[in-house]
Amino acid sequence: MAVDRTLLFKASVKTVKTRNKAIGIGFDSTKDEIFKRTRPKSGFSPKAKEVITNITKLKDFLLQHRKDYVSAGSLISSDLTRMTDSERDQIDQDAQIFMRTCSEAIKQLRNEAEKKVTSSQIKEHRGAVLDLIEMYLKGVCKLYSEQRAIRVKRMVDKKRLYVPVKITFYFEQENQRLVSEMNSLVDEVRQIEGKVVEISRLQEIFAEKVLQQETEIDSIHQLVVGATENVKEGNEDIREAIKNNAGFRVWILFFLVMCSFSLLFLDWYDS
Amino acid sequence: PTTSKMAASVREKQTVALKRMLNFNAPPLKNTAAEPVWKVLIYDRFGQDIISPLLSVKELRDMGITLHLLLHSDRDPIPDVPAIYFVMPTEENIDRICQDLRNQLYESYYLNFISAISRSKLEDIASAALAANAVSQVTKVFDQYLNFITLEDDMFILCHQNKELISYHAINRPDIQDTDMDAIMDTIVDSLFCFFVTLGAVPIIRCPRGNAAEMVAVKLDKKLRENLRDARNSLFTGDSMAAGQFSFQRPLFVLADRNVDMATPLHHTWTYQALIHDVLDFHLNRVMMEEGAGAEPSPAGARPKKKSRKTYDLTAADKFWQKHKGSPFPEVAESVQEELDTYRAQEDEVKRLKSIMGLEGEDEGAISMLSDNTAKLTSAVSSLPELLEKKRLIDLHTNVATAVLDHIKSRKLDVYFEYEEKLMSKSTLDKSLLDIISDPDAGTPEDKMRLFLIYYITTQQAPTEVRAHETELNGTDKVHRLVFNQQIDKAFTKMASTPANYGNSGVKPMGLFSRVMNTGSQFVMEGVKNLVLKQHNLPVTRILDNLMEMKSHPETDDYRYFDPKMLRGSESSIPRNKNPFQEAIVFVVGGGNYIEYQNLVDYTKSKQGKKVVYGCSELFNSAQFIKQVRAADCSDMMLL
Repeated sequence: MAVDRTLLFKASVKTVKTRNKAIGIGFDSTKDEIFKRTRPKSGFSPKAKEVITNITKLKDFLLQHRKDYVSAGSLISSDLTRMTDSERDQIDQDAQIFMRTCSEAIKQLRNEAEKKVTSSQIKEHRGAVLDLIEMYLKGVCKLYSEQRAIRVKRMVDKKRLYVPVKITFYFEQENQRLVSEMNSLVDEVRQIEGKVVEISRLQEIFAEKVLQQETEIDSIHQLVVGATENVKEGNEDIREAIKNNAGFRVWILFFLVMCSFSLLFLDWYDS
Repeated sequence: PTTSKMAASVREKQTVALKRMLNFNAPPLKNTAAEPVWKVLIYDRFGQDIISPLLSVKELRDMGITLHLLLHSDRDPIPDVPAIYFVMPTEENIDRICQDLRNQLYESYYLNFISAISRSKLEDIASAALAANAVSQVTKVFDQYLNFITLEDDMFILCHQNKELISYHAINRPDIQDTDMDAIMDTIVDSLFCFFVTLGAVPIIRCPRGNAAEMVAVKLDKKLRENLRDARNSLFTGDSMAAGQFSFQRPLFVLADRNVDMATPLHHTWTYQALIHDVLDFHLNRVMMEEGAGAEPSPAGARPKKKSRKTYDLTAADKFWQKHKGSPFPEVAESVQEELDTYRAQEDEVKRLKSIMGLEGEDEGAISMLSDNTAKLTSAVSSLPELLEKKRLIDLHTNVATAVLDHIKSRKLDVYFEYEEKLMSKSTLDKSLLDIISDPDAGTPEDKMRLFLIYYITTQQAPTEVRAHETELNGTDKVHRLVFNQQIDKAFTKMASTPANYGNSGVKPMGLFSRVMNTGSQFVMEGVKNLVLKQHNLPVTRILDNLMEMKSHPETDDYRYFDPKMLRGSESSIPRNKNPFQEAIVFVVGGGNYIEYQNLVDYTKSKQGKKVVYGCSELFNSAQFIKQVRAADCSDMMLL
């Protein structure tokens, strides 16, 4: 169980202040101003906070309209609470644009952060901050995609229940038959559409994984290119070395032959 | 609801306290889609040791911590971020905090002290804050009372850094001064006090007479008593006590001294966690191993293969570990194989889907098959992360268990274990001690030393007869032999007054060359005995049993009794409480090990509804213990 000592700390501050006053140490306020000014101003934090505020706005917006968006709407409820499909489309479009803008803003912040700083700690800190913001955005996007999936399913359900209004007696049976045929077809289509939504979700997951792998493959590519270069250079160096070695050997041979000839010559000269 | 509150282990309580601290000392919200708030965490080595077994780096990141740095490191100013400090209130730490304030490193400061900070040090920070005009930036100051390290739900140690200050050697060395002893006792009592504050309960204390454990008990009782009397600042009121009030019993706190049982730290062991601690480099739930230690000889002329160090964290989330950390080793090997088989089956399932998907659009049945397979695919994809995690854990345990098995095989640890168990249970020995000692393949000289020491501690033979055997020690030089003699004497003097009875244990070997695994598995345990353990109680467990069940026994009858809640100084040895205790905490002053811990866990399992927590001032394995005992003798030893 933790104990809050903040008040005790504030009391200690007062004690120290009064003690200092008694001794005669004071702190001029002008020094304080200088202290405040020398703190470097960074644009990173307010920008990051701005992105978060925007994402929160989107989240609030989605949550606010969620009930209306998702509601199937019965004949009993008034038309005021029901949302038309065009309104829903509008919400979808706006949400998508918003999410894209936020994503762009995060990317831009990341590029800026990379360039401006030299301290590795600050770099790591900013990278982690941007990761946190991205995770937050992902969570909000999930909210959106969930309610959109519900909407698609409901749309298909609704179409199935829609009954034609005007039927004459003679054609009633014919129409009944047609309706049942259509319903069975729609059944299949409904299933397929449901599956397609699932598949699109899976697609999203796969795309994410593939993109993750992209960076790794890029780095591997770099390494391989580097390695190839190194090997090429290595080969060159070996060729040089062989040449030098060969050349060196020739000189040694020449020297030895000359030595032996001079020895022979001296020997002949002497005798 | 009340039972779940009561069942919160000390590990959960400490984790909750840490998470609260990391949320700016406010209870964390359940809302998962909340706005992220970022912060940096600054700790000293003590803080690091407390946090690392409880929270992973990923969990820290999820809580918004972007950087975690050591207090005494070069830190760059990050002026727009709040900083949370978690440090001990020592002189140097306070100085460094004041320096940080002067250098205006962060936007705001949340200071959390692991144990209580003194008023004068608080004033030091206050004056530094004033000088730097940073008073408004110091947002919160807290005393966390978390000065202990929880390793398991039911196990804790006091510290890892600077543990030599309160080690067995420090407490038992012959040249210790009263002031030194006082300082050590204060450190231990401070940590124990923090433990009980976090637990939220005031225990009933029992301790033996005439040793370090008694000193700790007296001081702890005094400290708890003083805190309870101070109604304004008492730490034992409020929410944390609510849980305790539902149980009508308070926990029992048993203090034991290491010297009551000197054989267990030397014992060879057969359970997974204890083995890892004995043969590998294992502390704070982290195993460090060298990989690529070549079994294959490197080709002539080539540079030797570089050994990479790998570290593995054995956490609460690792289900295999939680299930098998106390299991005998052959069982572990078998289970790893089983897990591997299950995993391979699941992997094949996922791979099979790939071929099924190829049938798409080929026949009319495709659509209906598609719907099944889409569902299967979805479930397969969503279970992929789980599957990958499982694979990682299987790899981890395969590597660790293989390393342990290598040690067992090369040092014939199973032979040692079996023999020691027989010694400790006084059953008939089928081999003489000399056979094992003179076998050059069996074990390092240290293993042999351990066996010897256990032999003499349990058989209580006079040292003079025994010295005749010293010529049998292979590969030991004169210096070693001298130390060895010293150790016999030392062990003897310790054991002279309290002959430890190790109870009846039985070891049933299941066939000398039994193959536990089928071919194709990595754990071919040829030549390694498959030993089955019978439950027996080590001395510490027996002491606990007597005290917890209110049994009468000459060993524990004259233990002292302290109840900090009693108004008058309770000097009586007559326990007021006649009912058996449901909850107990055992603490060994001078150090403990995983063998004792495992024994207590096994004991607790056999008793329904009882909870036992094990603690010690430090954890050591046999090698470290022998080193400490030797160091105590170094001053006496004449160098040749």
